[in-house]
Amino acid sequence: MSIEDKTRLPILGLMADGNTPEGLYESLREAFESEVGAASAAGLESLRNRWLGRRSGLLAAANENWLKAAPRELKPVVGRLQNALRRHSDAALKAAVKAAAAPARRTSEVDPTLPGPARPFGAVHPVRRALEDVLRIFRPLGYNVVEGPEIETFFYNFEALNFPPDHPAVDEMDTLFLKDGMLLRTHTSPCQVRVMESSQPPLRCVVHGKVYRNDTPDATHSPMFHQLEMFAVDETITFADLKGTLEHFVRNFFGPGTRARFRPSYFPFTEPSAEVDITCPFCSGSGCRICKHTGFIEVLGCGMIDPEVLRHSGLDPERYRGFAAGFGLDRFAMLKYGIDDILLMYQGDTRFLAQFR
Amino acid sequence: MHILLSWLEDFVEIKESPNELADALTMAGMAVDAVERDLGETIFEFDITSNRPDALNHLGMAREVAAIYRRSLRLPAADLHEQAIPASSRASVAIEDPHACARYVGRVFEDVRVEPSPDRIRRRLELCGVRSINNLADLTNYVLLEIGQPTHAFDLDKLAGQRIIVRRARSGETLRTLDGIPRELSPAHLAICDAERPVALAGVMGGAETEITDTTRNVLLEAAWFSPSVIRKASRHFKLHTEASHRFERGADWQAAPQAADRIGAMLHQSGRGSLLAGRIDCYPRRQPLDTVQLLREQVRQHLGIALEDSEIESILTALGFAPTPTSVGWQVPCLSSRLDVTRGIDLVEEVARIHGFSRIPSTLPAVGAAPAATANEREEERMRAGVRALGYDETIGFSFISSEDARRFGGAGAVELRNPLSRLWDVMRNSAVPTMLQSLQWNLRRNRAELRLAEFGRIYRRSAETYREPRILALGASGSARPATWSDRAPRFSFHDLKADVTALLSPYSCGPLRFDASGIPDYYDLGQSASVRGGERTLARFGRISRTIAGERKLRQPVWIAEIWLDEVYACGLAEPAHRPLPRVPAVSRDFSLLVPESVQYQRITEAAGTIQDVERTEAVEIYRGKNVPRGRYSLLFRVWWQRLDESLTDESVNSHAEKLLSRLASRLGIKLRA
Ligand SMILES: [Zn+2]
Repeated sequence: MSIEDKTRLPILGLMADGNTPEGLYESLREAFESEVGAASAAGLESLRNRWLGRRSGLLAAANENWLKAAPRELKPVVGRLQNALRRHSDAALKAAVKAAAAPARRTSEVDPTLPGPARPFGAVHPVRRALEDVLRIFRPLGYNVVEGPEIETFFYNFEALNFPPDHPAVDEMDTLFLKDGMLLRTHTSPCQVRVMESSQPPLRCVVHGKVYRNDTPDATHSPMFHQLEMFAVDETITFADLKGTLEHFVRNFFGPGTRARFRPSYFPFTEPSAEVDITCPFCSGSGCRICKHTGFIEVLGCGMIDPEVLRHSGLDPERYRGFAAGFGLDRFAMLKYGIDDILLMYQGDTRFLAQFR
Repeated sequence: MHILLSWLEDFVEIKESPNELADALTMAGMAVDAVERDLGETIFEFDITSNRPDALNHLGMAREVAAIYRRSLRLPAADLHEQAIPASSRASVAIEDPHACARYVGRVFEDVRVEPSPDRIRRRLELCGVRSINNLADLTNYVLLEIGQPTHAFDLDKLAGQRIIVRRARSGETLRTLDGIPRELSPAHLAICDAERPVALAGVMGGAETEITDTTRNVLLEAAWFSPSVIRKASRHFKLHTEASHRFERGADWQAAPQAADRIGAMLHQSGRGSLLAGRIDCYPRRQPLDTVQLLREQVRQHLGIALEDSEIESILTALGFAPTPTSVGWQVPCLSSRLDVTRGIDLVEEVARIHGFSRIPSTLPAVGAAPAATANEREEERMRAGVRALGYDETIGFSFISSEDARRFGGAGAVELRNPLSRLWDVMRNSAVPTMLQSLQWNLRRNRAELRLAEFGRIYRRSAETYREPRILALGASGSARPATWSDRAPRFSFHDLKADVTALLSPYSCGPLRFDASGIPDYYDLGQSASVRGGERTLARFGRISRTIAGERKLRQPVWIAEIWLDEVYACGLAEPAHRPLPRVPAVSRDFSLLVPESVQYQRITEAAGTIQDVERTEAVEIYRGKNVPRGRYSLLFRVWWQRLDESLTDESVNSHAEKLLSRLASRLGIKLRA
């Protein structure tokens, strides 16, 4: 039986068929709800007429055939049901009209997961990255940045740096020579002398650039690599200052938990000389394959500038003292980024470089 | 170098575990690389720095242990039981070159029995990596490892005239060394000779002819001091690196020579395998004086930044074998022949610091120096790097070496040649960045990486007259598409004008004046039809273009590659342009399009220059260029857009028309350009 037909029948007859007043009104309500849910915005007005129309609406018919026709004892119950349904349908229709008037959320017309035309920035070479990180640490401490010539004299590369003549320390450098006796600098230290010759203390300097060794290339050796050297010359510089400066540096470069260990060593151009180990950045000092289970990795050499070097540079060693420290930027980059083959630095392989964009 | 724990214990008491001892020695500058156990013995593997030959033996290392823990040192005994017959009656020694050999101590043993060494000696030698030979040879090696003095035993009966003469070898003399190899000697080499011929290469290796054999009866033992540089030259010349040469070239102790000879004599007697003749033959023609250095209390504080107690300083120096005498300001310390590395006060400061412990020196930060001066061209360089990065070029670094063939081809004359190059392909310093960039491009193309933008900031190296120059250069390398293809766009191939746009963008921040592009002065490794050089004022700033087909073919580059060389020193010398604001016009510009037929001989720049002479022209654009159908032969069609602008007022149609007429007539009369019908 349709809803229309139902509301045209008197309530007593419907009840005789087994309906209760609550059941009858519940079936009306269900019909209403399903029609409202399916109606378009435009359909809502005709729905109002169909249900709430004053004369021919379904609720008006129910009022006529169910409420008015109800026997006296049923009237309070049917009246309450009739009113409840009227109030509910009125409010529900108003809400539906309001919702229909609000603008719909548009659905996406593009696939946001498709890539746009790639415009990647160029890679910054890991050695350059490491250099920039180092300079960011030393510049605020008042250090000047200097580059020197790569083609050097024997004097600046060895003699001025207090290498004893005819000593194995010179051989250990595996120097590449030019045909006229000039050489490719084996370290950035010659620049110390050049700077001290041309400027007066107080000095705070960072020297960086390419250096060369007659080394057959393999995963840990390259005949060309990058060195960085920092030095300070003043009247009051001490070994304690060197320790403090390098501890500050390695903490800022490798991470705040990094500790530095100073071991006595030998370089002709510093006295006392030290090698610096840091707590292994890969295992934080607990021991791993990379640090050979020692928890430490040797990263740089340093010391107090030897008085002979000051003298060769025209400074009075009675008055001035200085410290110097040097290390391989390639190695620092390798430690920082976990690169295991130094030759990757010089192949220009874009699969490698793209990791540093 | 290997050091045995039990051997150390002959000289110093050790309470620490092997690992504790290894740490303590390492932190005092005697780097222990490994601690191993073998045949029930603990072996330390040391890496000793080249300034410390004194520590290359057990006694020297024991002295370090004694200093670290301030324990007493027991010296090896030398109980001599000499025969009545003086050694000098059996053999004689003469030194002809006292500079090369300052001292030569000889001892003579008679009635020796050559046989294998006792187990204890063999075991110690083998654990130290020295092969056991016979009791005589083993004794010399044992004492070398014990106190560091190299010695050598000759079969005295095989020495002609029972004489030793230390002299320069003569040209043509030869010596078969113990390894069986005949060596040609020259006056550059110091030889130990008998009355007739060389019998040993001094300080490096003995000769086979006078070697100790099973039948040897009488022995001359040598303990000498040779000049480090003489030994180093011979060792390098013959590529013979021996335990002896390793120590002599670092500087041996001339006072250890008699001790070593005595120690061997005592041990031989004790073993009952020979008798020792009386006295040493001590030929000592050049005594080397030892200075006394002054160590100032203040010097220690100034260098280390910490004031140490006098007693600590004295105790360290004494433990290391020095004999400091206090003065009012510090100490007088006589130098030691065993510590040739200590000649100055600062050297003693280092000794004090390393034994006191670097870890016990505090950490401070020095005062910040004066404000740093700007590095030369720092801003210019920063800008260039930012530009290269923004344009998407990946930064590479190439080796500075190339082959001389590439140097001739890409850099012309004046390459810097290496005397000891790593290989023939790396025999000169690069005088052009192009070969290196080509290598990187090739490397990637071979790995199917076809979209490439590479940039290298580097130097090239040139020799001019008496000096070397290392100009800075930026090399760009590009190949593939102008931009990456996507699902909606096909990508055009990278072209000359793509590279021109990049070069122009990179040069634009500098005050180089208007850039001029032309095809003059291009070297032939470029495709001369698709390359240009860039000038600004008098300076040549860059050149770029496609790599020639010949080069590309030789290097098997399977797609076109493009290279730009930018002379950074020239660009940076122009300086960065300071921006200067110009007021903005109040009304928008108006444009007119002209469809032109341009003779092929007319370059675009001449059209823009002609347009520049017309009043109110703000800018021009080449909207489209077309050749082909409906365009007469010898001409190309150009859709040319001109923008006109006045600062304060709108341009009327009449004035634009009149400007346009003027433009067309100039293009026609000066350049033969016609308006397309
Ligand atoms: Zn580790």
